[in-house]
Amino acid sequence: MDLDVYLSAIASGDTVAFGRWLADAEPSVRASLRSFAAVVDVEAVLQEALLRVWQVAPRFVPDGGANGLVRLAVRIGRNLAVSEVRRTRARPVEPADLEAEPDATVAAPDPMLRAAIAECRDKLPAKPREAFDARLASGGGSDDADLATSLGMRLNTFLQNFTRARKLLAECLGRRGIVIDQELGA
Amino acid sequence: MTPEDEDLLIEQVAGAWRPAPTDDTLTYHKAWHDLGEAARMKAFDRARALRTAEAALDPDGLSTTARAVLSRIPR
Repeated sequence: MDLDVYLSAIASGDTVAFGRWLADAEPSVRASLRSFAAVVDVEAVLQEALLRVWQVAPRFVPDGGANGLVRLAVRIGRNLAVSEVRRTRARPVEPADLEAEPDATVAAPDPMLRAAIAECRDKLPAKPREAFDARLASGGGSDDADLATSLGMRLNTFLQNFTRARKLLAECLGRRGIVIDQELGA
Repeated sequence: MTPEDEDLLIEQVAGAWRPAPTDDTLTYHKAWHDLGEAARMKAFDRARALRTAEAALDPDGLSTTARAVLSRIPR
């Protein structure tokens, strides 16, 4: 799957095309930053890296290989992470991790997984589902304290409900033989 | 810090919300600073798992991270 099919549209300012690229590129770029997770806030680095891809895309010249824009995102993310390690004087990352060639493979979304997760989400009890849905609906735009207030919950209650939703979702998927990641149910 | 308290911090850090960046400095989730290295790794892995679920539930296949990035693009 070569996500550079979206490149010309992204370069011309098409945010819908960029959204489609993001949907498929994000997991690879996130995975490439795992070796930094103990020393930098990867979520902050990742969002900034992806935003910078949008900003530089009009000037990006493909090298002919597949997923050039994903590989660019991985490079931007790792450079940002290295800068953060230096800025915050965090402990050094292992040299082998810095030099490792990140994997820019992009996996296609699985329609059956989508259906299973939707069915399991629909079975969540009311309060956990409220917390889970509030995070989804906010699209990363509100912190948990604000989401808790909007639902009439204390922050800890909101987080406990969210945790319960996450674990119930993992249990439901597990009964169908689906394990997204052990951490979903941890 | 009790394991339960730590897990609530991990839950917050695993979310996609981050304070709006100021000038050229990245802004971390404040709870991230209260976590040890093992807990930060756990937050990373939990975030990855959650984003997969979020994207599967989104009509456009977008996670909350992707939505947060799109919201920062000036229209």
